[in-house]
Amino acid sequence: MAEPVDAAKIELPQGTLDLLILKALSLEPQHGWAISERIRQVSAAALQIPQGSLYPALHRLERRGWIKAKWGESDNNRRAKFYELTRTGRHQLEAETDAWRRLTVAVRLVLEMR
Amino acid sequence: MSPADLLTDVLSDLRFRWRALFRRAEVEREMDEELRFHLEREAAKLERRGLDAAEARRQARLEFGGVDRVKEETRDARGVRVLETMLRDLRYAIRGLRARPGFTLAVVATLALGIGANAAMFGIVDRLMFRSLPYLRDPASVNRVYLSYSFRGDRIRNAVLEFRRYCDLAASPSIARSAAYSSADLVIGTGQDAREMHVDIVSGSFFDFFDVHPVIGRFFDATADSARAAPAVVVLGNALWKSRFGGRRDVLGQQLQVGAVNATIIGVAPEGFAGSDETQPASAFLPITAYGESELPGYADNYSWGWLTMIVRRKPGVTVDMASADLTRSYALSWEKEGTLVHDRTPLALAKPEAKAGSLQLLRAPEIDRKSSLILWISGVAAIVLLIACANVANLLLSRAVGRRREVAVRLALGATRRRLISQFLIESLLLALVAALAGAVVGEVGQTVLRKLFLSKGTTMGVLDDPRTILFACVAAVLAGLLTGTAPALQSGRDDLVTALKSGVREGTRQRSRTRSALLLAQGALSVFLLVGAGLFVRSLQHVASIRLGYDVEPLLYVQTGMRGMRLDTAQDLALQARLAAEARTMPGVEAVTQVLTVPLRQMRTYGFSVPGIDSASHLGQFLVQMGTVDYFRTMGTRIIRGRGFDSTDIRGSPRSMVVSAGMAEKLWPGQNALGKCVKVGGDTMPCWTVVGVAENVKASDIVGDDALQYYLSIEQQRPANTGLFVRTHGDATAHAEEIRKRLQALMPGPSYVTVMPMRNIVDGARDSWRMGAIMFLLFGLLALVLAAIGLYSVIAYNVAQRTQELGLRIALGAHARDVLSMVVGEGLRFGLAGIGIGVAIALAVGHWVQPLLYRESAHDPLVFVVVGVVLAVVAVAASAIPASRAIRVDPSIALRAE
Repeated sequence: MAEPVDAAKIELPQGTLDLLILKALSLEPQHGWAISERIRQVSAAALQIPQGSLYPALHRLERRGWIKAKWGESDNNRRAKFYELTRTGRHQLEAETDAWRRLTVAVRLVLEMR
Repeated sequence: MSPADLLTDVLSDLRFRWRALFRRAEVEREMDEELRFHLEREAAKLERRGLDAAEARRQARLEFGGVDRVKEETRDARGVRVLETMLRDLRYAIRGLRARPGFTLAVVATLALGIGANAAMFGIVDRLMFRSLPYLRDPASVNRVYLSYSFRGDRIRNAVLEFRRYCDLAASPSIARSAAYSSADLVIGTGQDAREMHVDIVSGSFFDFFDVHPVIGRFFDATADSARAAPAVVVLGNALWKSRFGGRRDVLGQQLQVGAVNATIIGVAPEGFAGSDETQPASAFLPITAYGESELPGYADNYSWGWLTMIVRRKPGVTVDMASADLTRSYALSWEKEGTLVHDRTPLALAKPEAKAGSLQLLRAPEIDRKSSLILWISGVAAIVLLIACANVANLLLSRAVGRRREVAVRLALGATRRRLISQFLIESLLLALVAALAGAVVGEVGQTVLRKLFLSKGTTMGVLDDPRTILFACVAAVLAGLLTGTAPALQSGRDDLVTALKSGVREGTRQRSRTRSALLLAQGALSVFLLVGAGLFVRSLQHVASIRLGYDVEPLLYVQTGMRGMRLDTAQDLALQARLAAEARTMPGVEAVTQVLTVPLRQMRTYGFSVPGIDSASHLGQFLVQMGTVDYFRTMGTRIIRGRGFDSTDIRGSPRSMVVSAGMAEKLWPGQNALGKCVKVGGDTMPCWTVVGVAENVKASDIVGDDALQYYLSIEQQRPANTGLFVRTHGDATAHAEEIRKRLQALMPGPSYVTVMPMRNIVDGARDSWRMGAIMFLLFGLLALVLAAIGLYSVIAYNVAQRTQELGLRIALGAHARDVLSMVVGEGLRFGLAGIGIGVAIALAVGHWVQPLLYRESAHDPLVFVVVGVVLAVVAVAASAIPASRAIRVDPSIALRAE
């Protein structure tokens, strides 16, 4: 993705977007816009997903069966497409979170090497 | 991931893709709505921060990135991109083809003929060459036994052998198990229910070769193979059990008349078990011993009647070569054993008998016969027909592609990639080919009904439509045909220069393209010439075969045979019965003459050893066949007496023994001398003299095209043999009298015994079968090829004329004569024709020597055939171009010049 990125913002490493989406959905079903808002808020705006890239990711996850989509009412009474984690999605989230933790620990250990 | 999770994953994936593919509109609508919702929420958020509505929407879009690009990426994420495109191309192709029904029909019909012809041939070749018997256990370790030995410089080969030989060979140590089988059409049942059906006659060990178990009851086993046991039992085929016995279990123990055997039903074979021939499921299975006992008395004592196919299962670790060597050793022992029984057997050292463990399929036998190699040739011919059909279709597609240049150019201009265009052309031709495959399967089904009559015995059950392998073959052929026909137009569509195409309109194919088309046309012409030459050669061969003087008449003769049931006649009783039948037949108005006979020409051969005073081992001089007849023999058969006399009323029991010899035999035994009055001691030195009283013309007794038989005739009155039959000579065509005679003679038969009547024509036709088959098949495919080539030529010329409407109009406007235009256009067609003839003739001359062995008294380079085919093709070429030419001269210059 050759989007221009603000200096203060972090470019997402490959594959992390899926993890973030799964995490954002782990509390409750959300629609697309809410997912991007939540990630932006929680990461103190440091992680900004190019909004466009969210939807291909959502459809890909849906195809894999990690999330499923349902049409429902949004808070402003509009019809919106809500995504929620499936059982396999939840397993996947745990597995990927775990992998991510181990990765970051390992990377930190290497970086802090004296 | 657990297996359950994996399964859910796969299922959800499939569900998702399915929806993406087939509910595309809905999925798209939802995506639009979803993205619109996102943008609205984002805009609303920005508005709350103080932007005005329009600016907020603009910012939201900016933030989002290109909506269309996101949509594209989202579509990609659905993972059905390739399929989706193909589906769209497919719909597009279907629309396009439906819009031009004429074109579509022409292409489908052409390909269907080609694919159908090949499917039909494949069904036959597959069964004769590749498939093993259904249910056969471990086919890799099973072989069929083929025998050969030298006789007077020739190598005689046999795929069938005698019962005693089978017993001898079965003792080979490297063989784990062996079985023998034969089959016959026997009358099953009695009275009203009696029907002739296909029956397998098998050794008890036969069933052990298969993975089958009886539905009820039991199979007979190896104990049934002892000639002394000969149990009169029968195993029913599943179909017969269901149709005649309603699938009842109480059939076990019932009696069933099968041929001459009154057998006890002991079991029922399972469904789908066809026995020894998949194409001809057996209605019943009879032990060899029971059948032999009643139909072939003496079968177990001699080495004279080869009628059994022998199969063996090699012991583990035994190679085919080892088994062959082992069987050959057994064969040599068996040969020696035979020598002790038969006077005059060729010594072992000269005969060099050899046994081979070969393929079960006759087409892959060590030495394949004429009919089999014909089948291979004809399959090749069918493949050529398909190639011609493909060339034709490629040409049609090319000319259509020219007509679509504008459409293609427009699509290119609108941004379609060349790859997409190519794939679209291919999808179109594949679609055509697959539709053609369906139509072809139907054509093949019909065609195979014809082929079955030519290639396989009657009562054959096989089909194209119900055989998965053949259907699969048709589909593969179709896909190949689709790729073959679609590639040229597809590649060329990608090569067009965009701007010129848009500017120039539909006229003028590129040079490149017309060269491709000409090449295709030439190939078609050449291949049809090649096939037609083949057809000509085979037709001429058939003519030669049909004109061979057989030494007896065919049309007026009927062969009458008796089938005894519930009783056995000794020789005297049998002869008396035959005499009664002969006397009865003589009283009928349509009957000219009747004789009792021992053998039927082209069907059976009998030999006796004999010695001739003054000649050392006379019967080693050749294979001498014996025939016997009564007083009217030569008049009935139409065999001419050259010198001396035929049998007459003086040749009766007790009077001096009389013999008639064929001219060839007389020449062989007494060259340059008068044969009349010579003495032949039939049976050997110690036997009495038979005096030669006449010399008859030569006859074809064993083989129509082979050498004349060395044949001698004995009087039935004097020799009194067992197992005789009758020949009846009628006025005019015998077939018309057959039923009437059968009824009259049947009335004389005791109890359930019966007579069968067969026209000699059927027997001779059977022997000419392979010649007729070659002629018919080559002619059929040759004509098919010719029609296809004519259509191809016509379409190319017609297309060229259409392209040149303007030019032709101009010529006519400038004063060209209609005749000039006509000869110009026809000349173009003729040039194609002549070039095709040239190439085709060259191919035919080059491969001629391979066809030569299949021809009879016909050179593969017969100039007559080549000239006729050349003229036919030239005429067709002129005719095919004359139609478009006549259209060309009717061009109205004013209209032609204004066109476009």
